[in-house]
Amino acid sequence: MRFRDRLAIRVDTFIQLTLNGLTLGSVYALIALGYSLVYGILKLLNFAHGDVFMVGTFIGFGALRLLGGSSSPVVPVWLLLTLMTLAAMGGCALLGVGIERFAYRPLRDAPRIAPLISALGVSFFIAYSMQLMFGADLKNYDTFSMDNGALYFKGFNIGSVRVDLIRIITIGAAFVMMILLWLLVTRTRLGKAMRATSHDREAAAMMGIDIDKVIVFAFVLGSALAGAAGVLFALRIPTYATIGFLIGLKGFTAAVIGGIGSIPGALAGGLVLGFAESYTQGYVSTRWSDLFVFLILILFLLFRPQGLLGKADIRKV
Amino acid sequence: MKRRGGMVLASAVTVAAALASTAGASSTAAAQTQGISCGSTLKVAMVAPFTGGAGFLGNQQLSWAKYAVKTLAPKLGLKVSLVTGDTPVEQGPAIAQTLAQKFVSDKSVVAVIGPSTSGAVAASSQTYFAAGMSHISESATRTDLTKGATREGTPAFFRVVPGDYIQGPTDARFMISKGAKNVVLFDFQEPYSQGLSDAAAAVLKAKGVTVTRLSVSNTTTDYSSFVTKVPSDADFVFFPTQKPGDAQNFAQQLIEQGKKAKVFGGDGSNDPTQFKVPGSYVSNFAPDISGITTDKAIIAGWKNANPGQSLGSFGPPTYLAVQVALQAIKYACVAGHGQLKNRAAVWANVKKVKIPVSILGGPFRFSTKSNDPLNATFYIFQIQSDGSYKLVS
Repeated sequence: MRFRDRLAIRVDTFIQLTLNGLTLGSVYALIALGYSLVYGILKLLNFAHGDVFMVGTFIGFGALRLLGGSSSPVVPVWLLLTLMTLAAMGGCALLGVGIERFAYRPLRDAPRIAPLISALGVSFFIAYSMQLMFGADLKNYDTFSMDNGALYFKGFNIGSVRVDLIRIITIGAAFVMMILLWLLVTRTRLGKAMRATSHDREAAAMMGIDIDKVIVFAFVLGSALAGAAGVLFALRIPTYATIGFLIGLKGFTAAVIGGIGSIPGALAGGLVLGFAESYTQGYVSTRWSDLFVFLILILFLLFRPQGLLGKADIRKV
Repeated sequence: MKRRGGMVLASAVTVAAALASTAGASSTAAAQTQGISCGSTLKVAMVAPFTGGAGFLGNQQLSWAKYAVKTLAPKLGLKVSLVTGDTPVEQGPAIAQTLAQKFVSDKSVVAVIGPSTSGAVAASSQTYFAAGMSHISESATRTDLTKGATREGTPAFFRVVPGDYIQGPTDARFMISKGAKNVVLFDFQEPYSQGLSDAAAAVLKAKGVTVTRLSVSNTTTDYSSFVTKVPSDADFVFFPTQKPGDAQNFAQQLIEQGKKAKVFGGDGSNDPTQFKVPGSYVSNFAPDISGITTDKAIIAGWKNANPGQSLGSFGPPTYLAVQVALQAIKYACVAGHGQLKNRAAVWANVKKVKIPVSILGGPFRFSTKSNDPLNATFYIFQIQSDGSYKLVS
């Protein structure tokens, strides 16, 4: 094989891995946002967040079935995907509210370890309840059967690398949602209340902000984004009841890398993690990718705990 | 006083536990020694995954087992009831061991159909063997179950389908016949796929085919990076997963990245409801029996009993396994003059069973060298544009 051909193959591989990382990273970013929103306001690591994501994948699957399945949907494919995403967002938002109301609110004034343990308990409760109700088998959206495979066959090429419609939808939808969230947090009164609560909860309460409402809203937003991430993820990759824990941990890692509590940080962290995972799988070893991901988490916690875009937590002593 | 009471209670619990464990052992021993009247209702247990990712397989097999018991037992003058044990693949093989304990403790269970999966056979064969219980699998294909220095199946284990030592080379020869020059072989870091890929690689390499080996954890669901590693000029990707949904996912991701290689799945991928990317291949240990003229009446009867269900290729070997078990029971009953001396009497007769025209086509008998069927073969299907499986080799 000539040098030029070998080079072309290497460039194509790099582009493909970058695309894989971008797709994965945009999903991680959506999950990381949920961690960041809740942590920013409650200083709580919501370890059940990965399972909310998993429930989102299942709600999307249920909505798909209700709407006729992938091969013979009763509505056009674009509407089908939209309805699946909205159903998952709505369902997960309700679940998030429930988790906050019953698992975290009663422990709001307890030592910080208590809600953390409660979060782990909720995580396992959700995962194994879902497994009991819906079985342990893979749930495949079978997007290949939608519109005769149009989601896979349509798209454009970069060199010889295909960017198909399903990736465009995944990446595009994730970025649109992140922009909407950014606008909501920076341009609305509710967003201002969230930022104020995040900055100083007691002072915000004294200024007349309804803290409970803000906290519930943070859970609604974070969980809805996890639901959307669930559907976008499961469009390409089958899901199962215990998938949430590992994906959730990766979302948490992305939040830490970006700077937990920071919305742009969640995006940056998600992308860094997606690229790191993809390049490790492509250039080092597929077996080492998770090890590498969590090594990054440890390194950030040791050497830059505030993450890429977070602020250092300086306290007066 | 309190301390003394606690010690008494602890001693009582220990004694009770010891008694309970010996009671289980003695009932097993009794089940081996007491005779059973052949006029009574005999139980045949069936062990397969009825729920979970491989639930489709177990349910297909169950429908055929029920049909075989219903139609064949009366012809042999036997009263047989089928009892079932579920072994979801996601729960690992340990559950097969628990079920084996349960079935060997039940005196009226005289033979077992299954376990369906190789891991479940490896986990439970010793227990059945110790109880003298023959277990006849309709789909466990791992080579080590009947062959090799580290044999996992006991002499009481039989199977009516060929082992993977036939499947791997058969698949490789088919790929070569299709002009394969470059093949990527996957394994899932477990014995089933490793054995198959090793066997296929040996044949491919011997014929000068370029072989790339990729190893992936069997919990992986996103294959994007693996697909990126598949060379653009690869002709086939040998993907012997035990989860058909994974084969579908992998084939989709190949298309997503514009790779032209065809996916070639093993018997574990053979499920038209889940794996349906056109052009892909699957191999299986049983043919599509709809083309076998001698099976017309059986198929019609089964369809009548299972309206709306598709024929599938996992079910018919179960019919054969039940047929072998019932025939062995009959031989044992005749030898015992209407009395089934023990389960070992059934086991002793399994290998004597010869079926002139089996449901899988042609005569059936066991090899004299192993507990595998004589002259069995694997069949290769290609997925058509309508999702159906067409026999191509």
